[in-house]
Amino acid sequence: MRLNTDMRVNRIADEVWEIPVSEKPGMLVPARVYATQTILQSMDRGVFDQVTNVACLPGIQRYALCMPDGHWGYGFPIGGVAAFDAQQGIISPGGVGYDVNCGMRLIRTDLSLMDVQPRLERLMTELFRRVPAGVGAAGAVRLDRSELTRVMLKGARWCVEQGYGWHQDLARIEEGGCISGADPSTVSDQALGRGINQLGTLGSGNHYLEVQVASNERIFDAATATALGITGQDQIVVMVHCGSRGFGHQIASDYLKIFEKAMRRYNITVNDQQLACAPFRSPEGQDYFAAMNGAANMAFANRQVITHSIREAFADVFATSAEELGMQLVYDVAHNIAKVERYAEGELLVHRKGATRAFGPSSAELAPEFRQTGQPVICGGSMETGSYLLVGTDRAVQETFGSTMHGSGRTMSRAQAKKQVRGEQVQRLMKERGIMVKAVSMSGLAEEAGFAYKNISEVVETVEGAGITRKVAELRPIGNIKG
Amino acid sequence: MSYAFRFLDDIAIADIAFEAEGDSAEELFVGATRALLEVLANPVTIADTWQRQVLKREGNLDDLLIEWLSEIVYWKDAAGVVFRDAPLTLRGENGGWTMKATLIGAPVDGERQELRNDVKGVTKHRYRMERNGAMWKVTVVVDV
Repeated sequence: MRLNTDMRVNRIADEVWEIPVSEKPGMLVPARVYATQTILQSMDRGVFDQVTNVACLPGIQRYALCMPDGHWGYGFPIGGVAAFDAQQGIISPGGVGYDVNCGMRLIRTDLSLMDVQPRLERLMTELFRRVPAGVGAAGAVRLDRSELTRVMLKGARWCVEQGYGWHQDLARIEEGGCISGADPSTVSDQALGRGINQLGTLGSGNHYLEVQVASNERIFDAATATALGITGQDQIVVMVHCGSRGFGHQIASDYLKIFEKAMRRYNITVNDQQLACAPFRSPEGQDYFAAMNGAANMAFANRQVITHSIREAFADVFATSAEELGMQLVYDVAHNIAKVERYAEGELLVHRKGATRAFGPSSAELAPEFRQTGQPVICGGSMETGSYLLVGTDRAVQETFGSTMHGSGRTMSRAQAKKQVRGEQVQRLMKERGIMVKAVSMSGLAEEAGFAYKNISEVVETVEGAGITRKVAELRPIGNIKG
Repeated sequence: MSYAFRFLDDIAIADIAFEAEGDSAEELFVGATRALLEVLANPVTIADTWQRQVLKREGNLDDLLIEWLSEIVYWKDAAGVVFRDAPLTLRGENGGWTMKATLIGAPVDGERQELRNDVKGVTKHRYRMERNGAMWKVTVVVDV
């Protein structure tokens, strides 16, 4: 078997591969990669180099993990999961991802494909108009600095208080849409300056808003789907993928600089500058955690304001209120975050970067709505393929610190993708396949072409086969908005 | 005096990497700046209705360039603008370096401008500035 690494990689279960500590000096725990043989062979060298670098970080527990959608990232691989002792371990912006609380949100409707198809053009135009996307786009909600501070502290709760959401939305957001422990005094003026205009904006890159269809034949667990509001019968749903925008990224950049200096003081060495970290209990570590929580809350608020705009667009196009259209939230979940959670080892700081929390039904931390089903997990595919609604399992809690995949993962660089296709061509081909695309940037659209991504179904089958997530429904795109 | 830049295929699978070079440190800065402006939008489609003077000082050129490129990203978000040009001068003095630049551009307008990628940050991944005789070269990866 040819892999993009010279390290020894042992198969320890059908979908689990282990790199022993003997393969790199300084590894404190083994590294584990969740993948089929085919996926493992397609993984870039960065995955193996980076997951073993993570295994060297102080305080790491059990394993450094990488999910099957893993690929090279800054410091940690995308798809990386690592848990550190909350007293003796570290915290690292490279393990959170620079787009703090980049995440997924799924909104259901009572509409069917038959209702939407005749008005799809108008609906997509309305969504494109109401949800700003792309370079430098400013959101419809204008904040001053004190109001942005309140967003940092309250997250999606701030939105609901301001009329940008429904009270019942909050129970369907990870952490109720508001993570405690945010401290605005730990956030730089530069971050505030970048974030002040960005609430309710999609961004660019791989971020998107997608109108999708849930068909009966692509529902794998009807009881769970129904419990989550997915009824099938060509039901229309809306998926949103975005995060804390430049605000979160500035926080990450600020603390990378602080941590580079702090590491010398705490005598920490790392194999990659982008793994800069500090002891979690140090003043620097606690400040970053407080700032990161503020960015996470901004991201929850960002997706909440976008949801409000989506509801308004649907209400306008269908001349019916969003409530009457049944536009409840299915769930909102982060895939770039660090959180304190309790496991057999005790209190751990779990970093998930391009990885989703996937708590099973037995998890006491879940809202009552999900005690029967397990926590919803939303995984976005490329804009040309389907996306998935999954649920977490108790096995994930035992094996992967309650974590699973987040998307399909790239296999080709943006520059390579752009050499193979033009944005206009992607748009035309997708239209022929029944997917209407509206994009701010045609070159950005080319970079996101479906062939640049792994086959999401194979990634999903891997995590289901490994028992760390269960499939509920596959969602097929009919309309996509990109920055 | 001259500069050049090119985009690199295989440095950052999910992001954008470029290599810039110049026959002086100042030209290197001009090349890297032009590359970043091109990542954000097609500069020739951007008007010149917005300007901002920038003065930056750092002890070394590596830090100065990354701080300057990050400042461009900052103004993109804080002022909601994209850029046509950014003429600059660079001077070494008292063991450090000073850069004076003027950011020139216009508020984002998708109808009139060819917008490209919303850069979130300038990273230090594989960030390397090299000097070979009179030629300077740098590799930069930006997160999009």
